[in-house]
Amino acid sequence: MRFDELLAIHRRHFLMGAGAAGAAAMMPGSAFAQGKTVVVGTWGGDYQNLLEENISKPLLAPKGVTVQYDVGNAPPRKNKLIAERRLPRGTQDVVGLSDIDMYEMSLANVLEKLDTSKFANSKNLIPALAKDYAAPHIYSGLVLVYNPNHADPKGFADMWDPRYAGKVGFADGLYIQNINAAALVAGGDRSNFEPGKAKMMELKKAGARVYPSNEAVAAALQSGEIWMTPMWRARAFQWASGGIPVKDIAPKEGITPILFEMAVPRNSQNKDAAYEFLQAMLEPKAQGGFAQKMGYVPTVNNAPLTPDLEQKLTFTAEEQKRFIVPDYDYIAKNNNALREWWQRDVLG
Amino acid sequence: MTAGVQTLRTPAADGIPGTRDRTPWLVAPATFLIAIILLFPILLLFRYSLNRYDRLEFMIEAFSIENYVRFFTDSFYRDVLWRTIQIAFISTAATLVLALPVAYFVARAPAKWKSALIMLTVFPLFVGNAVRAAGWMAVMGNGGFLNRSLIGLGIIDQPIEILFTPTAVVVGIIAVVLPFMILSIQSVLETVSVSLEEAAQNLGATPLQAFRRVVLPLAMPGVIAGTLLVFILCMNAYATPVLLGGPRFHVMAPKVYEQITEQSNWPFGAALAFVLMFSTLILSVLSAWIVQRRYTR
Repeated sequence: MRFDELLAIHRRHFLMGAGAAGAAAMMPGSAFAQGKTVVVGTWGGDYQNLLEENISKPLLAPKGVTVQYDVGNAPPRKNKLIAERRLPRGTQDVVGLSDIDMYEMSLANVLEKLDTSKFANSKNLIPALAKDYAAPHIYSGLVLVYNPNHADPKGFADMWDPRYAGKVGFADGLYIQNINAAALVAGGDRSNFEPGKAKMMELKKAGARVYPSNEAVAAALQSGEIWMTPMWRARAFQWASGGIPVKDIAPKEGITPILFEMAVPRNSQNKDAAYEFLQAMLEPKAQGGFAQKMGYVPTVNNAPLTPDLEQKLTFTAEEQKRFIVPDYDYIAKNNNALREWWQRDVLG
Repeated sequence: MTAGVQTLRTPAADGIPGTRDRTPWLVAPATFLIAIILLFPILLLFRYSLNRYDRLEFMIEAFSIENYVRFFTDSFYRDVLWRTIQIAFISTAATLVLALPVAYFVARAPAKWKSALIMLTVFPLFVGNAVRAAGWMAVMGNGGFLNRSLIGLGIIDQPIEILFTPTAVVVGIIAVVLPFMILSIQSVLETVSVSLEEAAQNLGATPLQAFRRVVLPLAMPGVIAGTLLVFILCMNAYATPVLLGGPRFHVMAPKVYEQITEQSNWPFGAALAFVLMFSTLILSVLSAWIVQRRYTR
């Protein structure tokens, strides 16, 4: 067979194949016609793996929805949303952020107002967590995590107990929550962190340590370098499950919740698929999967938890009364100034 | 040099009529490429540094030097630059002192061992900076190898604070840049004949004097090149200061990253990048000029 004959056959086969694919795409109900892709802007690592294991593979793949992950830290994700704001077609269909960051994005007017009729599971959301610009995915609260072999604190105020001098540690990334905790001790409140600054400086003088990441805090707790740190209860669960000798106490000064939320950008190209993602995200089984592995509490009231998880992760009715929901507006306005102060005065 | 130029002369350059010299066009593709991939991003970054930052708008078009004014009027950022320069100088000087004997040893090693020695020198470069810094963290931490060994040997009873100190950063940076200095000096030492050292020693110089008075001045181009290369790397170090210095250790490159990636303040981050770039450039040119003057007199 000559080369040109071989080429002709290949061309014929290619055209037949392309024709078949084109016909299939036009047929309603075919696999091609059903295929949808949703791009989810998210954190990588465990969070992405759990999205894949609990949402994408078991719930969306059978419906023909393919999930692609745009992995990165939160700040670049926020930048992308703002930079693409004026474009008719954005690159993300669903975007995951913390409640504080998501509020800022709502102020920047880049998020779709959610139509709850398009994801029926929204009816099961815990009402206090629902917002019109984002669906809550998981949540936890700021507690005091401590080593029970060395300390027995009752609240954030015990971080200033001279017996624990030099044994208090902070995660650098939680600077807002750290200042907030100090403010609650010093008479401040959710809308005024200023009193916490002088209080935090006292702790710095007493030898408090700051670590570059949550993982570094965990290592310091394990080695005995520190005995206590303000942290999410979910992290305390993860660390205790990993063999680190820690317990947590819901501080008497109040518990600041943290929510990780998912929203749909205004310029999402696949809004239907985005709503399908939100619907799957709130399925009880998917929510239970995140609780089991990551220690975050489900945001729906129909996700069953084992008694053990219920006891370790959730917040009792009495604790929930002490929830201090962040003043998002105050934080949005003061975030940069708080970061600067933390860097110069606490870390400097 | 003249001979080299003559061999490259074209007919047109020799004045042969009727031919056009197209040689300069040969550099056009490379020049164009450099302009696109190097100069354009730098110019763009400079333009960004003149913009204004807004948390919700991200970046507002402007033509203002306020980001530079903020840097130079803020003692915090001036201290960050000063600390960066100090760490870079200390690390470069220590690297030079450590590299000289190693480079000399490799240059004077028998030919059959030389390849293996050079491979050993290059070997650490196969591992990324962040991975090496993570290794140092395991060594230097309070519960790390070093402290455990010292406590185990009964030399200390409480861990010594090494990690998250300037010492940890300097040690980590030296470990990263040492191969560059060794290779730069070794390549020039190869060209310095052993007979020159022998002649100096025949005339009564000790081996150390022969090295200091004969070998070192001849190896100075390699020393200058290595020092400049290492100084630039030290000024721009990122992973090592972040991982071994901890959040309380502030130097320039992590600040650039922090402003651009964490704070989303591209204009100020761009201004920091330019301050770092020009500080490095000025200090490198100045030090090279001083050393060259000193050794060419």
